[in-house]
Amino acid sequence: MGVFCTIVPPHILDRLARSDDPELSGTARHTLEHDARQRTRRGLHAAIGPTAAPRAGTGPAEPAKGADQPQRTIYDAQHKDDLPGHEIRAEGAKASTDASVNRAYDGLGATFATYLTAYARHSIDGRGLPLNASVHYLKGYNNAFWNGEQMVFGDGDGRIFLDFTLPVDVIGHELTHGVTQFTANLDYQGQSGALNESVSDVFGSLIKQFTLQQTAEQADWLIGAGLLAPGIHGVALRSMKAPGTAYDDPHLGKDPQPGTMDGYVSGSDDNGGVHINSGIPNHAFYLTAAALGGHAWKQAGQIWYDTLTGGSLASNADFAGFAAATLAAAKARYGEGAQYQAVRAAWSTVGVTTAAAGSAELPRQQPGEQTQEA
Amino acid sequence: MRIEVVRSGGFAAIPRRATLDTAGRSDAALLESLARSALDSPGPARPPVPDGFGYVLTVDGREVRCADPGLTPAQRELITHVLHEGA
Repeated sequence: MGVFCTIVPPHILDRLARSDDPELSGTARHTLEHDARQRTRRGLHAAIGPTAAPRAGTGPAEPAKGADQPQRTIYDAQHKDDLPGHEIRAEGAKASTDASVNRAYDGLGATFATYLTAYARHSIDGRGLPLNASVHYLKGYNNAFWNGEQMVFGDGDGRIFLDFTLPVDVIGHELTHGVTQFTANLDYQGQSGALNESVSDVFGSLIKQFTLQQTAEQADWLIGAGLLAPGIHGVALRSMKAPGTAYDDPHLGKDPQPGTMDGYVSGSDDNGGVHINSGIPNHAFYLTAAALGGHAWKQAGQIWYDTLTGGSLASNADFAGFAAATLAAAKARYGEGAQYQAVRAAWSTVGVTTAAAGSAELPRQQPGEQTQEA
Repeated sequence: MRIEVVRSGGFAAIPRRATLDTAGRSDAALLESLARSALDSPGPARPPVPDGFGYVLTVDGREVRCADPGLTPAQRELITHVLHEGA
């Protein structure tokens, strides 16, 4: 019963939550007993800083620059929130009996290989940073995230979500948050936060496409395909090709993503709707890739990669500033040919006004403003 | 005691909201103790973690904000029991 409650709409949740839960008392008492001790530990952790957490492959303080092999370590959080947990599989070790561990290991490898092969980038910091991930975080946890140092995966509750290590694009998405952190460092709030999310979706999808060697035409352009449990009405969590169509389910609601500025959502939840408005730049990338055809990581992906890592993008960039930066990146690498025109047309279609190339710092876009160019 | 939990964010960004009233519950004392502990230990303030869940806990009108992965054990237990979702 308790698990089933997770998938019902909020108003029904409200009602069900008023009933007594006989499973509460034991764990709650245990928690309360340990809370004071935990507070002491947290204060210490905050004072030392996040880098105090154990790392894989420590030894030389500086990882080898330019190594062409990843340095992966997968940990089992054993359903607790102490990170990273117990080491299960280090780089080069044989496969574990735990499928989540092996999927995380392979997904980290696919991400490393894509960045290295397509963009000559050595790991997420460009300097061979060891890649760490923890699986089995908490119990039935419906999420995955990048904590600034490592990836963290929940098992899903099995009712709405399956194991978050299942889709390789989810793994690529999380690690790309690390790439963004080490490069443009887009503020995780408002339009720059939506761009941070979008960049993770873009490269998450490209890592899947690279792994499957798919062209733009062959790719599904979905984020989180295979993550929804059987019975949930949806194909994924987001669609870059058709934002707003990934799911429509009584337990999840309807995919709220807009594909154009007409549907831009204002609000404070989710750091200003970073997972909603990311549909707009997501769709601009899809349109660029579809127009150019072939393997999307090669030209469209290169332009977005150059934009992210070029050093000129402000951390508080808005959509218009980012769009202008992609135009500048396209022009710098390919001139004013088909690539430049594809980027320009894509942003126009989604309603983002691009400032002239080279003036990327001038925000001009207003939510709801629709601009069509010939 | 009225306890409300609002969750936003997360990779899937599926919002959740639930309210619980401890009146008449056999576990009211424990829940209330948990809630007081959750309010009194907000944890260190940190910038948002990409794709981390953010929570607003409201207990009889008093509000505290917290976010993964920086929840105290009391906050996590309370959230889990009010949302009925793995946290």
